[in-house]
Amino acid sequence: MTARAACAIVGGGLAGFTAYATLRGGGLEPGEIAVLGTDPDPAAAWRARAAAIRQRRMRSESDGHCYPRSFPGLAVRSARRTRSLEPLVASACDRYRPSVAEFLEHVDELRARTGWDGSFVPGRVERVRAVEGGFEVGPHGVFRHVFLAPGHPGLAVPDAFRADPRTVHAYEPHDYASRVAVVGAGMAAATEWLNALAAGASVVSVRRREPLRRPLNVPRPLFTRRGLAGYHRLAPAERASFLASLLAPSYPTGTEWDAPVDQAAQEGRFEVSSSVGGAEQVICATGFRRGFRHDPLLGRLVGEHGLETESGWIVLAPDSTVPALTDGTRTLALGGAPAQWAYPAADTLAGAKYAARRFLARCRTR
Amino acid sequence: MSYTLRGRLESRLAGVLPAVLAAAVLAARIEEWWPLELAGIMVALGLALDAAVYHRALPYQPGWYAVPLGLLELGLVMAIARAAGVEAPLRPAILFFAGAWLVAQVLGHAVFPVARWTYAEDGGELGRAGPAVAAATLVVLAGAAGVAWATQPPTVRLEAGIHRGPIVIRSAQTLVGEPGAVVQGGIVIRADGVTVRDVEVWGGENGIDVEHATGVVLDGVRVRGVELDGIHVRRGQVTIRDCDIRDPASAHAQGIDISFAADLPASTIEGCTITGGREGILVDMTMAHVEHNTVRATTLRGITMTEMSMGTVNENQVEDALGVGIFCGDYSECEIEKNVVRGTRPDLESGDLMRNGYGILAHFGAKATLNDNFVDASPGGIGAFADATILHEK
Repeated sequence: MTARAACAIVGGGLAGFTAYATLRGGGLEPGEIAVLGTDPDPAAAWRARAAAIRQRRMRSESDGHCYPRSFPGLAVRSARRTRSLEPLVASACDRYRPSVAEFLEHVDELRARTGWDGSFVPGRVERVRAVEGGFEVGPHGVFRHVFLAPGHPGLAVPDAFRADPRTVHAYEPHDYASRVAVVGAGMAAATEWLNALAAGASVVSVRRREPLRRPLNVPRPLFTRRGLAGYHRLAPAERASFLASLLAPSYPTGTEWDAPVDQAAQEGRFEVSSSVGGAEQVICATGFRRGFRHDPLLGRLVGEHGLETESGWIVLAPDSTVPALTDGTRTLALGGAPAQWAYPAADTLAGAKYAARRFLARCRTR
Repeated sequence: MSYTLRGRLESRLAGVLPAVLAAAVLAARIEEWWPLELAGIMVALGLALDAAVYHRALPYQPGWYAVPLGLLELGLVMAIARAAGVEAPLRPAILFFAGAWLVAQVLGHAVFPVARWTYAEDGGELGRAGPAVAAATLVVLAGAAGVAWATQPPTVRLEAGIHRGPIVIRSAQTLVGEPGAVVQGGIVIRADGVTVRDVEVWGGENGIDVEHATGVVLDGVRVRGVELDGIHVRRGQVTIRDCDIRDPASAHAQGIDISFAADLPASTIEGCTITGGREGILVDMTMAHVEHNTVRATTLRGITMTEMSMGTVNENQVEDALGVGIFCGDYSECEIEKNVVRGTRPDLESGDLMRNGYGILAHFGAKATLNDNFVDASPGGIGAFADATILHEK
């Protein structure tokens, strides 16, 4: 399979899977694509995290899927399956949230349909190096076009809690003690408040700032060329600063979030504090480590090739490629969270397609 | 979707292309211009709103906005069409707009994203196909406008002064009278698509004689001193607006007579003033709408709809008629609403009891539906004879 593969996807998570589905949808055969990852289940890492925080609904909307085309989205498919217009109406009002079960079912179906397992090559890739005619990808050979989707470089735990035996990260499997401190103010933190309250615990919300309330992490105009044109014009330092503001913790508005917390606050079971105090359990809903330096593969890539960086980001072209290593004969592109330099919503499923579609254009025409 | 300006315009023009093509086919099929005129207004208004309002006001547009924005555009399109004198029938026009809107929604939400995977990311832009599709839409509309311009009937201007008639018109054209233009001896129309505007006619047997002609418009004509009919229509379809007919030259003269056109589209008589003559307005074996006219001092009947005619008689004033004000006879079906009939005098000399000063009369199997009419100083009131029926809606 890899003998004639011109394209390699490094990373077998959802971003890599979405890129694979896009290449397949664009006409590439399974034998023309090599997927290099550690787990053949593309949803394995995400599934474990979603289970850890008892996530039931996606934050993404109808477009939050891995199909190469945005239509039909999950809302249309749900409407067809349930023979109800409700998902379509909800989607038109930006209120459709697919369930986690629906999403995972869709991943399984697409995995079987695209021949993912036939392209999958197990093994960790620790080094990608530019060579004559393409890129040497670990021990797997040389590929002309390489899509790096290494995923998040690990869970972020504040130094103050790292050695604390009460600490568990929200994305690690856990139950709830009777008095829980939840550190953080984003979607995972809000989910953990509700989980812990539902389990009968008292909750202390430990936060440095009041959480932002917005439906998606990234303002909607930044999903399209309308907002992207201005974003791409920002100077590197400005862009890094803007990205930092976008990545501030947030979660959606709605009574489903507020009512249980308000009720618990009245009962004295929910409070906001600047310290964890005497909590029996400290849940760090503090997301992921950020920056290429935390990822051995990307860190080495930058170091060996002297790539341009800014505030922890690898500077990318608007099409998510690494400019210094991409030309008319070869492509090195990034997908997932590290590609937010090119596309602020790159860490979403819709965003994964942005880089993948542009990568497809290069694989198909060169 | 967060549209770019280019994306909005390209999506608009590409989305409306099927409707523009359908309008061209429909216009050719029904031989009327309104579908293309309506499509042209839709496109022009849509582009103007996109560029001047939507782009600035809506940095992000959820799917459901399509419904209120569609209704807003429908209202504006219909208002502009009305103001511009586009003669689009209301129901078909709304259906056309709704169909065009639906097709554009399907294209924007399903077809374009499948045809162009980056459609949403590109803010509705269609890439290299965008300008081509946009140009195709504009070319179709421009082509239709060119054809309309090239095929519009010539306009003939009648100078002020007296012109000896009869003037016989045998091809589609617009005859416009300048102030003081008079035709003595009548106008004869024998062609479809003729418009006569602001012309005064004196004398002759019939003032304006229309036979075997459809799509004829008589707008603001004045007729004086004719021996038979002020306006005489046989097997024709006409729109008569704002006419003035008076001073009949014989005891047999009448105002307007439209007969023997039951198989043709409905004629319209509106805003006319008719003074004197036997019948003011006579509709015989024809479909017609008789609205907002004033008929005075007739000697047989004010307004008559008879011999299996169908139509409406709405918001007319009939004054000082002898015998009968409004008559629905001989198996006709008449909707008679909001008319004022005043001072209908009994025709005692005739000895006919059915001419005993009836404001509204139905006769011989006719069905008259009445609503909100005002009959005053007419001793016969409202009556029905010989198996005719009157239904009062209120």
